Amino acid sequence: MDILESIKVALEGIWVNKLRSALTMLGIIIGVAAVIAVVTIGQGGRAAILSSLESMGTNLFVVYPSSRNATTPITRQDLITLEDVEAIKNIVPTVKAVAPTSYLSIMTQVGRQKEKTTIICTGQDYKSIRNLELVEGRYFTSEENNSRRRVAVINEELAKTYFSGESALGKQVYLMNTPFIVIGVVKNDPSNALGFGGDPPKEATIPFHTGETLFRNLRIQIEGQTYSKEEVQETIDQIVKLLHKRHRNEGKYRGYSLDQEVATANKILGIIALIIGSIAGISLLVGGIGVMNIMLVSVTERTREIGIRMALGARRRDILVQFLIEAVVICLVGGTIGTILGTGGALAVALIAKWPPLITPGTIFIAFFFSASIGIFFGIYPANKAAKLDPIEALRYE
Amino acid sequence: MIKISNLTKVYRTGAISVTALKGINLEVAKGSMVAIMGPSGSGKSTMMNILGCLDRATSGSYIIDGVDVSTLQEKELAKIRNHKIGFVFQTFNLLPRLTALKNVELPMIYAGIPSKERRERALKALDKVGLADRIHHRPNELSGGQRQRVAIARALVNNPAIILADEPTGNLDTRSGEEIMDIFQQLNQEEGVTIIIVTHEREIADHTRRIVHFRDGVIIKDEEVLTPISARTTLAALPPAGEV
Ligand SMILES: Nc1ncnc2c1ncn2[C@@H]1O[C@H](COP(=O)(O)OP(=O)(O)O)[C@@H](O)[C@H]1O
Ligand SMILES: [Mg+2]
Repeated sequence: MDILESIKVALEGIWVNKLRSALTMLGIIIGVAAVIAVVTIGQGGRAAILSSLESMGTNLFVVYPSSRNATTPITRQDLITLEDVEAIKNIVPTVKAVAPTSYLSIMTQVGRQKEKTTIICTGQDYKSIRNLELVEGRYFTSEENNSRRRVAVINEELAKTYFSGESALGKQVYLMNTPFIVIGVVKNDPSNALGFGGDPPKEATIPFHTGETLFRNLRIQIEGQTYSKEEVQETIDQIVKLLHKRHRNEGKYRGYSLDQEVATANKILGIIALIIGSIAGISLLVGGIGVMNIMLVSVTERTREIGIRMALGARRRDILVQFLIEAVVICLVGGTIGTILGTGGALAVALIAKWPPLITPGTIFIAFFFSASIGIFFGIYPANKAAKLDPIEALRYE
Repeated sequence: MIKISNLTKVYRTGAISVTALKGINLEVAKGSMVAIMGPSGSGKSTMMNILGCLDRATSGSYIIDGVDVSTLQEKELAKIRNHKIGFVFQTFNLLPRLTALKNVELPMIYAGIPSKERRERALKALDKVGLADRIHHRPNELSGGQRQRVAIARALVNNPAIILADEPTGNLDTRSGEEIMDIFQQLNQEEGVTIIIVTHEREIADHTRRIVHFRDGVIIKDEEVLTPISARTTLAALPPAGEV
């Protein structure tokens, strides 16, 4: 008997036991769907996070006061000053741009509408450091910063909230009851896409010196950019050393680079994907055991059929192949349905989370390969049991 | 063509062992039609299963067409079952989910015959047993006699040299039994198929030329039937089906 006939016989076997075959498939469908969904969502999320991190430029660095490595807490003397920032700009040669930056969260107001907004007080170089793109208008200048002008550059999200559709340029936004003129709108910072879906945060950027007049004791962190990615770590070290020297303290400053962040994120995301993938894999394993279970029942139930087939000239190999193919076909059909469901689910998640939908042919191939392997792995034992039956005893089976 | 010498069969179930055949010697010539009779438990089925290569003897030899079956491997036994022997059971042993046609095609699947030829030959075999109009019926849509005829069509479809029938009429009424015997007689006379039938009914056995009597695992009598009954003639005398 050739393989094509075996497949036909197996398909007939599946068809005459429709309900049982469908229930067996269910385990495989769920398992494969889970694996595909998890792997695809994982890959998509990872790609989204990494690309948004990298879009900010991997030569970005941040230095800020931290007591993590210090024996005493941070005091006023340890805070970074504008003079420190100037000194860094002048002394550290690898620094391309640097901006003293403070983040605050307050309520802003336009007319009667109030919105919780992140206020970024920073220098005019922040735009280039963060790789921000203007949608309309312009960024503030160093003159506007030095003369403490009440101008603001808001992000698209805030512009949409307050001025839906209209141009925001020239409009007034109130911060701490002080009117600010909107002079520019920037695209939402991609680094905020790190959040799982949801709306991007509302942001307004104002010149640092203007911010000083509005808020007391701004805690500065240094955001900067080197000329190349390779210089980042060395630059951070130099800045930290310089700050310690200027403040005559120890272990009070820390820095991190985006490059480092990307590497760490990549590693963590990889581990998470592996863990969740393994859990999904277990459900596939359970599905496979289900197949074996049903196949064993099926072999017992069809003992007489096996006996009849043997009496009519089926070799042990024919019986083995018949049951094996039944298991593989059940797994492959289940795998196909599972792949479709899993892919659909992953696409839906990608759509909601605004991630790139990452469905690689590799994933689908692996799903198929796994389904077939599970069919063979969990089918071989029942099939072998069927093939080992003694013809006369199988015929006598009631 | 069949030669059995000193054949024994011992069944071992746990501590108890039953000797079902105690040294059987039997020769069946090519083209003959033989009945095996004997009380229940005398070893008839045991003997038939060994003849059909479904079971192996404990000792002794079984030679079919010059080949000693005890030396054969499982694969070769399957081939003999497929090509050389057609088996007919008392309980029909059709696959319940398959149509008559598909049931008859089964042995040809294992013989590696392409599907078109399979269908043609199955149709011909079903026609031969008078079931041309029942090919798409499943076993549970057929009467006992019709089921047994499907089983015979299946047994003869690979053109076997021997048909082994273990109480083929045991579950049938007189008329159906007679119809089955008619088919066997035709096969034997017209195509020269060797036929061995187990039965415990004398009337059935009398359709053959030779009756071998079994008791307690031994042959006690080998009897010649001088004037076998013709099933054709008997059937002609019986009232038509449906009026019984
Ligand atoms: N599988 C078996 N295991 C144990 N004993 C068996 C088995 N098959 C048959 N026997 C015994 O062998 C003897 C012959 O049985 P069998 O060949 O079926 O007789 P018959 O067909 O003539 O009625 C009986 O005593 C029966 O109990
Ligand atoms: Mg019997």
